[in-house]
Amino acid sequence: MIIIGENIHVIAKDVSQAIRERNEKVIQALAREQTQAGAHYIDLNVGPMKKDTEETMKWLVNCVQEVTDLPLSIDTMNPVAMEAGLKYCKKRPLLNSASGKTDSKQQMLPLAQKYNCDVVISVMTDKGMPPEIESKIESIMDTVAYANELGIPNEDIWVDPIILPVSTAGEGQRIAVGNLEFIKILPDVLPGVKSTVGLSNVSNGVPAHLRPILNRTYLVMLERNGLYSAIADPLDEELMAFMRGEHQEIKNLIYKVMDGEEVDLSSLSQKEVAYVKTARVLMAQTLYSDAWLEI
Amino acid sequence: MEYKAPIEAYKGIVREVTIGKGDKVLKIGGENILPLHFFDEGSMPNPPKFALEVLDMEPTEKIPHLLEPFGEAVSDPIQWAKKCETFGVDAICLTLLSTDPAEKDSPADQAAQLVKRMVSEIKKPLIVYGSGDEKKDAEVLPKVAQICAGENLLIGPVQKENFEVVGKAILENGHVAIAQSPLDINLLKELNVKLCKFLPPERVVIDPLSSALGYGIEYSFSLIERVKQIGIITKDSMTMMPIIANLGGECWKTKQAKENKTQGLLWEGITALSLYLSGANLLILRHPETLKLVKETIGGNGRWPS
Repeated sequence: MIIIGENIHVIAKDVSQAIRERNEKVIQALAREQTQAGAHYIDLNVGPMKKDTEETMKWLVNCVQEVTDLPLSIDTMNPVAMEAGLKYCKKRPLLNSASGKTDSKQQMLPLAQKYNCDVVISVMTDKGMPPEIESKIESIMDTVAYANELGIPNEDIWVDPIILPVSTAGEGQRIAVGNLEFIKILPDVLPGVKSTVGLSNVSNGVPAHLRPILNRTYLVMLERNGLYSAIADPLDEELMAFMRGEHQEIKNLIYKVMDGEEVDLSSLSQKEVAYVKTARVLMAQTLYSDAWLEI
Repeated sequence: MEYKAPIEAYKGIVREVTIGKGDKVLKIGGENILPLHFFDEGSMPNPPKFALEVLDMEPTEKIPHLLEPFGEAVSDPIQWAKKCETFGVDAICLTLLSTDPAEKDSPADQAAQLVKRMVSEIKKPLIVYGSGDEKKDAEVLPKVAQICAGENLLIGPVQKENFEVVGKAILENGHVAIAQSPLDINLLKELNVKLCKFLPPERVVIDPLSSALGYGIEYSFSLIERVKQIGIITKDSMTMMPIIANLGGECWKTKQAKENKTQGLLWEGITALSLYLSGANLLILRHPETLKLVKETIGGNGRWPS
């Protein structure tokens, strides 16, 4: 599993402040920690970046490249910031992201071709998020065909089905199950494409101390269904251990839940029980509540 | 080829909850079919029940067509409740509105004394709602629970901010809790999980918040529907409680209900009927004529007239 380290993210106050003040230390510490933790890419989520775009992107990209040899994922919706970022990357970067929206097709996708980089393409369209797996597939096939015409091969495309919070009014659980299915059938629909997800979004809105177990469990499930990469927190040691193939006994329990098998909780450790309960929530076998581990 | 209608059987069952004691007892819930799925395998032993609401203070806003049926009685909660009993109710709901800090902020003791008197004077089981102010309710409702120990009242709202103190008083004094959460199924389940760590689930009734027609009834409708589906179809223990729809007060807050009598009765009636269809087990109304209208529409045994 390719892990794209998510921790340089403008929503984090210290990151946005560091970028504003050109504080290399903060940014470089995050880049270094994620590199040491085993990330494969460093994501630079800079938001819309409307001010001093060119200047800031140049500074940020170079600042990170000084301390890591990892390739970068330039994460912005602003095509000007995107191009500014891609331009300074030493290694072949990841354009994160394009979508089926008209603006994105016209402004983002040509950049992937121009800079010969990998590109994340989400299932979003002008109409928003396609509600069902079928419509997601339909949307992504259209956008990938469009990208192919521009000369971007399937092998350079990382499809993102868009992960949504599992905690929202019941719908979130249905979508979590749908995305597992989407990842499973993707290679049949679009041979050669890769896949990625914004993993942590699955636990958005959940109390902070409960987020990691949801993220880890969901990544184990997605991995089993063939997910190629995830934008995630490489500083979560247990998450990285799972991805290195450790904790196979817990993985097997999660797989059992995915297969709808009965799991006898009485013979399990507290930690194993927690993973089984979390898997049940992510498979929508039981209604989500913040108290899911307490039942 | 002969057509055979499919018949479903379900895993879950809504817990039967008993309110009141002795000769004033009310049972709600107990069904193991989805709302109105009388064609499926299973039954609904207790058709939906209806209560009329009285306030512990004379209403500050005088809506003539709402107060007219009660006459002078609205100045005295006990008389008001007795008047309600003449309209064929299954229970009385007393709302301790005066305890609200934004109203009279009347003391907990006074409210508890009133509840105690009402229990002894009325012939129907009693539902007691605090003002909804979670801090004040944490004082008022435990007092009510203590002073009426053993009466098996239905007491609420128990909210996530005060469930420990109010829930414990309900447990220790032998009552039933109304667990209330703000129109969200995940929060609703969470509160039930927390409450049921010390309170038996047979002592919990769900109040998902009931919005009036035109003021968000869709949310209440689909939430109640979903609670029933998850409880009955997937057998989620923490949603298999009966549902109380406290809708009268919400309806009579609307401009439309206040405007004139016919509109008011229909506003409350259509709200009640909709929430009944979605699966409410106990409905609280304000106007006796709405009660009559809704009962006639539903039919005598709680079923749609055939």
